[in-house]
Amino acid sequence: MRNMEVARSGSSPSAVPRALAAVSSEYETPPGFVDELFDEAGEPREHARELVASLDRMGRVPLLELGRRRDRAFTQRGITFEITSPDRQARDRPFPLDLVPRVVPASEWEAIDAGLRQRIKALNAFIGDVYGRQEILREGVIPWALVLGCPSFRRAVHGVRPPGGIWCTVAGCDLVRDGDGTWRVLEDNVRTPSGVSYVLENRLAMTRLVPELFAGYRVQPVDGYPALLREALLEVAPALGDEATVVVWTPGPANSAYFEHAFLARQMGVELVEAGDLVVRDEVCYMRTTSGLTRVDAIYRRLDDDFVDPLEFRPDSLLGVPGLTRAIRAGSLALANAIGTGVADDKAVYRYVPEMIRYYLGEEPELANVETYLLRNREELALALERIDSLVLKPTNESGGKGVFVGPSASDEEIARQREATLRDPSRWIAQELVHLSTAPTVTSDGSLVPRHVDLRPFAVYGSEVRIIPGGLTRVALQEGSMIVNSSRGGGSKDTWVLRPEPGEITRTMRAVAEPPELPVMPALGTGAWTSQQQQQQQGKAG
Amino acid sequence: MRFEIRYAAEYRYPEPVTDSLNTVRVQPAVTSLQSLESFELRVEPEARIQERRDYFGTDVLEFEIGDPHDRLSMFAHAEVLTEEPPAPPTGSWDAVGEERYRRLAGEFLLQDPTEMPAQNGLDDLVAGVCESSPLETALRTTEAIPDRFEYQPGKTFVGSTVSDLLAAGGGVCQDFVHLGLILLRSHGIGARYVSGFLFAAPPDGGRDSVEVQTHAWIEALLPPESGEPRWVGFDPTNRGFAGETHVKIGHGRNYQDVPPIRGVYRGPAAEHLEVAVKMRRRNGDG
Amino acid sequence: MLARIAYQVYWIGRYVARAEFTARMLDGVFQASLQAQGDISRQPLSWEAVMAVMGAEPDGSGPVPASDAVRALTLDPESPASVTACVDRAREGARTVRDVVSTEMWEALNTLFLELNDSDLGAALRTGPYSVYSFVRERCALWWGLADETMLRDGSYFFLGAGRHSESAEMIVRMLRVALSGRAGSDPATEGNSALALLQAVGGLEAFRRSVPTPVGPGPVVEFLTFETDYPHSVAASIESLLAALDEVSADGRGTAPVLRLARLRAELEFHRGLDTEIGDELDPVRDGRPMTALLEHIQRELAVVDAEVERRYFTGETPQRQVVSA
Repeated sequence: MRNMEVARSGSSPSAVPRALAAVSSEYETPPGFVDELFDEAGEPREHARELVASLDRMGRVPLLELGRRRDRAFTQRGITFEITSPDRQARDRPFPLDLVPRVVPASEWEAIDAGLRQRIKALNAFIGDVYGRQEILREGVIPWALVLGCPSFRRAVHGVRPPGGIWCTVAGCDLVRDGDGTWRVLEDNVRTPSGVSYVLENRLAMTRLVPELFAGYRVQPVDGYPALLREALLEVAPALGDEATVVVWTPGPANSAYFEHAFLARQMGVELVEAGDLVVRDEVCYMRTTSGLTRVDAIYRRLDDDFVDPLEFRPDSLLGVPGLTRAIRAGSLALANAIGTGVADDKAVYRYVPEMIRYYLGEEPELANVETYLLRNREELALALERIDSLVLKPTNESGGKGVFVGPSASDEEIARQREATLRDPSRWIAQELVHLSTAPTVTSDGSLVPRHVDLRPFAVYGSEVRIIPGGLTRVALQEGSMIVNSSRGGGSKDTWVLRPEPGEITRTMRAVAEPPELPVMPALGTGAWTSQQQQQQQGKAG
Repeated sequence: MRFEIRYAAEYRYPEPVTDSLNTVRVQPAVTSLQSLESFELRVEPEARIQERRDYFGTDVLEFEIGDPHDRLSMFAHAEVLTEEPPAPPTGSWDAVGEERYRRLAGEFLLQDPTEMPAQNGLDDLVAGVCESSPLETALRTTEAIPDRFEYQPGKTFVGSTVSDLLAAGGGVCQDFVHLGLILLRSHGIGARYVSGFLFAAPPDGGRDSVEVQTHAWIEALLPPESGEPRWVGFDPTNRGFAGETHVKIGHGRNYQDVPPIRGVYRGPAAEHLEVAVKMRRRNGDG
Repeated sequence: MLARIAYQVYWIGRYVARAEFTARMLDGVFQASLQAQGDISRQPLSWEAVMAVMGAEPDGSGPVPASDAVRALTLDPESPASVTACVDRAREGARTVRDVVSTEMWEALNTLFLELNDSDLGAALRTGPYSVYSFVRERCALWWGLADETMLRDGSYFFLGAGRHSESAEMIVRMLRVALSGRAGSDPATEGNSALALLQAVGGLEAFRRSVPTPVGPGPVVEFLTFETDYPHSVAASIESLLAALDEVSADGRGTAPVLRLARLRAELEFHRGLDTEIGDELDPVRDGRPMTALLEHIQRELAVVDAEVERRYFTGETPQRQVVSA
């Protein structure tokens, strides 16, 4: 059926035009990098064979058409992301989802899962310590100046312990696979990590647009996230258990991630509130409803500490609720994430996370860091400036890829400017070795596959324990050679498939993760073939 | 010296406002040089007042007035006993570089990153206050600043930075202190912002102070010849050490850490604040 | 539900109802002018009348040229009564509560908005006003139909309905007052016919004929539009629907101020309807010492109070002591 469709599209059947060439035929991994789906010989890896075969069967033109359909569907449903283009205009574009998923075998994921759980537990313990007895600082394991001088260290909540001692209910640690195949944590995000709604929407879109790609794969579901988050919020709400009122607090529709805020509120079945809806009276937080003031016990908040409470923090913040910190101090309200978690987000503190794991858990880190140099130290500053053209420099207190300097791809002028900026205030900068981000096949404008650099942001929820959604957001740098993957800077995304372990596959201790029923798969239009979810489950990997 | 302090602050609003939340730092501290004999805060309209200690150990009083009101008044009454500070420590610069000193000084060694623009234009002043010992440097700072800048209310405002002071050529005690902090920290001396009351003797030598507002000065961590480094008060507005006439409320890294009053309310942004402090010397000095 | 969302949804209901009503009125005038065959002096429903109904007072005195009225009531983005302004605001409101309004409802409203803003409306109005107003009526009808079909029966649904019925009730009362004031038509001799023209405009003429055995006359029409609970757009029926909607959203049932006031108003209307008329002219019958005109004025005032009470009770999200009434 498919071939007939392609012929009708008008291509000449005599020569083999580009449009009919196999999707994967020209794929070449750039040297020095690892590819997620293809090996050094240019052959699909074992866990990618079925997928590549399906793509080749599909063909370039249909693949492109599916891309257009995806864009229309996303635009219509409002699944967009705001970017500021070079002409300074803010535009809503459909969230860029590449139709070729990234595939991660179960055993590989187990290692990532264990490493992340360990890391998040350590970060949480660190935050609790820093806002408590500060023992890790007293013992000199981490330089005190790094923490006490960090703008995100919020003295207003020192001495206040959130319910259950959970500071980071949500965490998103960004991972990369280096040129030697090692997984490394690039950055920790424990303030307001975003992107999980795209994980869920991407999976839904994939099952509807390209269900045939799922054939031969048993992919772990991701739609348990909202339930996990809700559970964790109830966990952190003071005392009331199931009766607690939980809300999602958004800065409003003007915020670039508003879609996600509304999405999560809807999925969790809780109210989506803005600052004007909340008020604190007598150290209790309420929301304004049609039946008067209703108490709020826990808030999943998506705005930075600075804006949360004009009484304690930025006095000009119209997005905040005066008195919120008082309510938190009084123990009547919990925020997820708690105020002050930014101290663990700081890129200079990142350097010491392996030390934290050893100090608080007595374990060796399972996931490696990227080699990082703190330029506040004179020797490291000198060495970094010497090698400035081969290192990556980042401001310690920014997020979203802002202000990142990439030595190897910088012009002489940019290098000179960065040198000057660094010397002006060295403690504001860190330097890292360039990571050779792995690549993954991505659909390009003629329907063929090309390698593009990717990273991975898994999403963790810390309720009664740390749980990680299998997979997460794979972010793609859509420009050839670029390694900046942030969506706010024009990056794309891929669905991430973590496979279920094969019978007989040796993995670590299996943990029982609550699995909601998988989404029913729509029949692939135009093929006449019905791919049912049940069939997928019964099939083992072919070949 | 024994003092009786009356602090009165009144906010007036052109239209009634609601949901007013306030944090107040006017209660004198208890230190080795100062004891608090009595303290009371009254508020109109009436409100429940809660007490806590903030991160820096300052006593904070908080209250909430929800119902509509067009005037908010606070009255604090305190009785304090102060002592003359002992002779200041005379340790050398070597001690300032030591790990033990740095740990004690802690975050008070760190420059305020928002004051970066000012720091870059102060090289001459920084060099100018450098003396043979940390103590001398601190004293020199309290002279150099009033030498260079005029005490002039109205040129700067609550949110002013040191850059504003440099541009205006004059300011108030808060600005002098912020500048002093930069200078001292540039030399590796731990320095903190102190908020409090200053008894300004009237020209006729009577018991009632000239009416003032709250005052600000510096505490610098000075190393001794032997023993523990000690925090010593310096007043860059009045040249020299802080003494018996300085009643401390609390300290922080800068003004924002110890504002006497900080509040938020629901209503138009058009409030008018008046503050008056009366200090009176009492008999029976300690 | 959140007070802010309820407020938005209530006002979307009001704006859509107002846009629809205005479109009907304007259409009615065009029809009336056709009937009068260009002779303004014989026109039973004048532009001034419609503007008076909508509260858009004409400048100066004398007959209002059609173009001015049309501009003020259809195109003027500043005028709170104009169709385009109402649709603009309704759409803006719907945008901020996208979660509550179904996708289909949004598309219906958005299409209306785009049509009114993109096309050369001025020209369309000159050549074929009927099609413009008919389009507006259709889209509004679609909106209400979709609301019924796709909305969950939760607070949003009832507040949307409350906005609609609140606006309806007020509009009909104003319309009747203008009809009875003698200012409706250009020719005082035919003033009775204006009530008829208005009835025709709101689309109730056929319902009237089925319901009322007496021949069509201005008196019975006014009575019909005021008291007939079986006709959904009468004053009484709108009050009844508004009461029912508010009842649904009030946790404490019958206890709230607006609900009580509306219940009383409904009882007053029932009372009045049941009485015999005393002396008075046909158009302004007196019952219980109260002429129809006075009754209508009373109703309009009460509805304004209800409106303020609704805002205070539901949209400030406050405890009763702290509620501040907006002017």
